Parts: sequence; C-alpha cells; structure tokens
Amino acid sequence: MRGPMRGPAGEAVVPDGGPRVVAAPPGYREWAGSLLAAGHRFAGLSVAPGGDAVRAWFAAPGAGGEVEIVTAPVVDGAAPALVDLVPAADWDEREAHDLHGIRFTGHEPLRPLVDHDAPLAAWTVPVHGEDAYQVAVGPIHAGVIESGHFRFHLVGDRILHLDARLFYKHRGLERAAEGRSPQEALAYVARACAACAVASPVAYALAVEQLTGLVSTPQLARPRTVLLELERVWNHLNDVAAVCAGVGLAAGNTRFSALTDRMRRLNAGLAGHRFLFGAVRIGRSDLALDAGGARALREELAQVRAAASASWRDLVFNPSFAARLTDVGVVTADDARRLGTVGPAARAAGLADDVRTRSPHLAYEGFEPVRPDLAGGDVRARFEQRALELWQSFDLLDRLLDGPLVPAEAEPSSGPPGPAGSSGPPAVPAVAVGQVESPRGATSCLVESDGGRVTRLRLRTGSFANWPSVAFAAAGTLLPDFPLVNKSFELCYACADR
Amino acid sequence: MFTLLRDLRSLRRSLALPRPDRGRSLAVRHVDAGSCNGCEHELTLVSGPAYDLARFGLGVVASPRHADVLLVSGTVTTRMREPLLTAYAAMPEPRRVAALGDCALGVGVLGLPGELAGPVEDLLPVDLRIPGCPPSPERIAAALVALVDGVPFP
Repeated sequence: MRGPMRGPAGEAVVPDGGPRVVAAPPGYREWAGSLLAAGHRFAGLSVAPGGDAVRAWFAAPGAGGEVEIVTAPVVDGAAPALVDLVPAADWDEREAHDLHGIRFTGHEPLRPLVDHDAPLAAWTVPVHGEDAYQVAVGPIHAGVIESGHFRFHLVGDRILHLDARLFYKHRGLERAAEGRSPQEALAYVARACAACAVASPVAYALAVEQLTGLVSTPQLARPRTVLLELERVWNHLNDVAAVCAGVGLAAGNTRFSALTDRMRRLNAGLAGHRFLFGAVRIGRSDLALDAGGARALREELAQVRAAASASWRDLVFNPSFAARLTDVGVVTADDARRLGTVGPAARAAGLADDVRTRSPHLAYEGFEPVRPDLAGGDVRARFEQRALELWQSFDLLDRLLDGPLVPAEAEPSSGPPGPAGSSGPPAVPAVAVGQVESPRGATSCLVESDGGRVTRLRLRTGSFANWPSVAFAAAGTLLPDFPLVNKSFELCYACADR
Repeated sequence: MFTLLRDLRSLRRSLALPRPDRGRSLAVRHVDAGSCNGCEHELTLVSGPAYDLARFGLGVVASPRHADVLLVSGTVTTRMREPLLTAYAAMPEPRRVAALGDCALGVGVLGLPGELAGPVEDLLPVDLRIPGCPPSPERIAAALVALVDGVPFP
C-alpha cells in the first residue's frame, strides 16, 4: 500500500513532521473548526489529483512541525467553503475555483482571482458614493517593479478600498510540474521566485522527503539552515533599502542596496549563484566549505553586520524619516490573526508566530521569534522588525558556521510499519506538506505523488499569504503613501502568481 | 559613510567598468513580462550605488513614451502579451528592444505552454540579448553601456 489515505476512522499519524490525513465527510468544516480552536494555523488549500476532493492544511502549534490535512469530497463540482471560519482561505478558494473549476458552497461572492477574462464588476468590490472614484495602476509600473494591477477606490487622496489583481505572471508552474518526477519538479518550485530560491525548494524537499520515506539529519539541517538564513539576510537588507526608497531617502537606500549586493556576491562565492538557485537538493546537500572557508565567511558576515548596524543607527536617529513611517498602513494583531498574516508583518503586529519555532528538520533549536518594542503593526514596526531579524540571522549564521560544511544526506525514516504482516519498508504517505519560514513568512508546499510522479503540487508562499494584508493596510491611508505601505511588506508577485 | 564610499570605490575598480566620458544617453523602460523577480532584483542594483548607470547616460524612465529602449524580462505570459505590445506601441521611433535574462530569450523556460505567449522574440524585434539566469548586474551594465555606445555586445 502506497500511502495512508484511509477512511474516516483510520487516521494515519506519520511521525517526523508528516501530515495527518483526515478524510471527510462528514466533518470537513467541523474538523477545520476544531483544529483552529486548538490553535492550528491555516497553511493552505489544494485540490486533489483528479479534482474529486479539496484538502485544507493546518499547521499544528507545537514544536513538532506537524501539518494536518483535512479532506472534503467535491460533490457536483462543489465543496464546502472554509472562508467564514478562516478568512485567510479566501484567496486559496478563489484560486481553486479559477484553476480547477470547483465552487465553494457558502463563499459568496466567489470573485475571480486568477481568471482574467471576467469583467471589472466581477472581480472588484463595489464602492459607491459621492466623490468616490477609481485609480487604475499597472500591470506595468513606473519603476523596476514586477507586473500586477491595483485598482484603488478613493475619495480625494484617501484610499477607501484596494482591489489587487495579480497573476499577470501566472506561468502555470505547478500544473506544468505535475506528471514529472520529484527531481524534475524541483526546478519548477525553485524558479517560481528568485527571492525565495532557497525557502520554496526547502519546503518542497521536506515534503518530498516525507513521500519517499526519508528524514533529514542534523548534518543535512545545518547547510540548509545556513542557506535559508543567508537568503533572509539579503532579503531583509533589500527590504530596508526598499522602504528608504519608498520615502525617497537616498542615503538609506544606497547603503542598504550596496549591502544587498555584497550579500549576493557572498552567496555566489559560497554556492555559485547570487540567489542560491540550485543549492537546495532533495534528500541531500552538496554544500562544502572547509574550516578556513567557514572562518572567512563568518568574518565577512561580521563585516556586513557591522556596516548594516552603523547604517541602521543613522536611520533610527533620523526623526523626519521615522515620522514618515509611524502610524501608516496599520495591521493590528487582531487584523493579522484574522487575515492570516505571516512572517515579519505578523510579528510586527505583535503575533509571535514563526515557522522556525516548529522546524525540527532544520537547525533552529531554541529559536525564539523577536518582536519590536512597539509592535504597532504600522510601516515603522514592519521596518524595525527587519532589523531585529537581521541581527538574529547574523547570530544564527555565526553559530552555524563555527565549523566546516560537508555534504550530507537524509536517512531512511523510521516511520510506521507497512501493511500488517509485511516486512517491507515503512509505509510512506501519498501526500505531504513541508513548511519553512521564508523571508516573507510561512511558505508551505504540498506535494502529492503516485509513487514515482508528482500528481499535485501547490506552493503557498509568504507573499501569497500576505497580499490580502497589503490591501487591508492600504485602506484608510493616502494614495501617495501606498508605495511605502507596499514596500513595508515587499512581497513578490512571482511566487504569488506562479 | 566613509567605509561605504571606500567599498564602492574598490567595487567600481574591481568591475573595471568603462569611464563615464560619453556624451550620449538612452532612456530605458523596463517591462516584467513574466519573470521570477531575479532579473528585477539585479536590474534594481544596476541603477544602485555600485554600478550607477546614470553615470553612463542610462536611466530608467517611468513611461514608454519617454523611452528609447524597452527592456523586457521574463518569458511573456499570455496575460502580459497585450500590456507588453501596448507599451511598445507607445514608444517613439527609433526604438530598441532588449531581452533581459534567459527566460526572455526563450532559454530553459518553465511553465504550462497554454499560459505562455513565447519568448520576447516571437512578439517584438529584439536588438539586444542579455543572457543569464539572472544576468549579474555587471553583465546588465556592460550590455546597456555597449548599447549606448552603439557597439555590439558579445
């Protein structure tokens, strides 16, 4: 038997952070509700191969990193909606409708998200009233920015509501990867987004390893964690530069852009690619660095940290700059919880959630998420959050690089035994979810396999999770502040669109 | 600040970019037609402090109506086909098209054929090819400087 896809009574618990697959009916919504009440976080939603079921994924709150998957059958093209229980499922259900034709009973109106053929009235929220008007921006923007369309509903300069229409860059990567071997599909995950060129492949590799009966080792966890934190460092440096650019502070932008470039050079020196493309492998790591190399890398990171810290001090003591960031684009803790905000944006709102606290297969022992003193959820808090996390990542890297990096492999998992009476290898699941804290927040990757081929792939990145929060934060601010609000999240379009 | 300026000076020396002594300029409009964001990240650095393309008379302009060069990254998705062609149609002549990165050149493109309109070349006449996944800022800078100088870029 290939995988524990069992009936309602026969739940299979897969150790090593594997998903627990719970079949329904009845009880899809009831299960989801009880998981949410028990502190689980919505991690994504996917459509089963063949389109006959939908699966909602929930990350358990403990340190074990389990993801529970609740399945509901699709009957007459419809499945029950979860959006009223967990608003974070809004985009997931709309995407599942547009790509797989599934209706979600109770999700009204189910506005188009990926589908661009629908008329304006179908995908925008109606905003009426005296002096209310619309400003359409994009998909091509004025600067060097990814493509996406924003439709602002305004009175004067004040944003009443923002409808974001992304997916201009939808390449169908996941569907194109289906039918391929897990190894071939890795490239599709990696090329979804350069800013998550480590995080997404690690999430994918963790899922595939569960499907193939492998489990990571501390030796494999270390190089992967080094790569993840190097990616976080360049991204956060880039994000700080972006906020400076968002208010036209050239000095801050210049200094942090130069440091971003320096980190990409460092990446290229370590792994042969400025964005670390190709550095993450399934079931193994080929990263090799001798003791001298590790020492040199630590020293260079210490220099980058010193330069970043000096540049940061100049920003913190610049009162006119700080005044531009305060109380702009607020997402409170309650809002963040409701919207399913993840990553630095959620922590800046006061939520302590960080996948690194529940990553037993990565080298994050004893990790505690940091939060700014005033976690007010405004642009300033999100900005300060990047700096706090930078210092933390430099600390982690310093600890992880106290010796050489050597190639490592995953080992066979000691999962549950195979079918009763058989002496074969342990049973492996047919569906698994890997979760990683990317620079933008929780990235989850679901992989379903028929044994040799990927039959379903869905990558739900931190950017995808946070786009609704950007639209929420924009409401009530002034239109000229939108670039600043947007930069304070600094989300990718590429890995949201896929 | 002093360390930063020193770092920048040494970086510029090590890149051996040509001296900014030309009296010509080109206005560039960038269009992301379906990239992974890698080309955008590197292109942003090209106009940043280390490479500082403005020294060579190159600038990114907000509108295609002000542009001499359309710099296109990514393989063109079906959804970006019309916006791309509209941007090109808005440009004054003479105009040039540069394909930035392997995807734009149709090399190693990943995706579902039904969602992709093809490489830039299938839609527009391409004058400059900048290979790489993504091309490094040095490479982008060297290619654009060659374009402003009117010399062939290898």
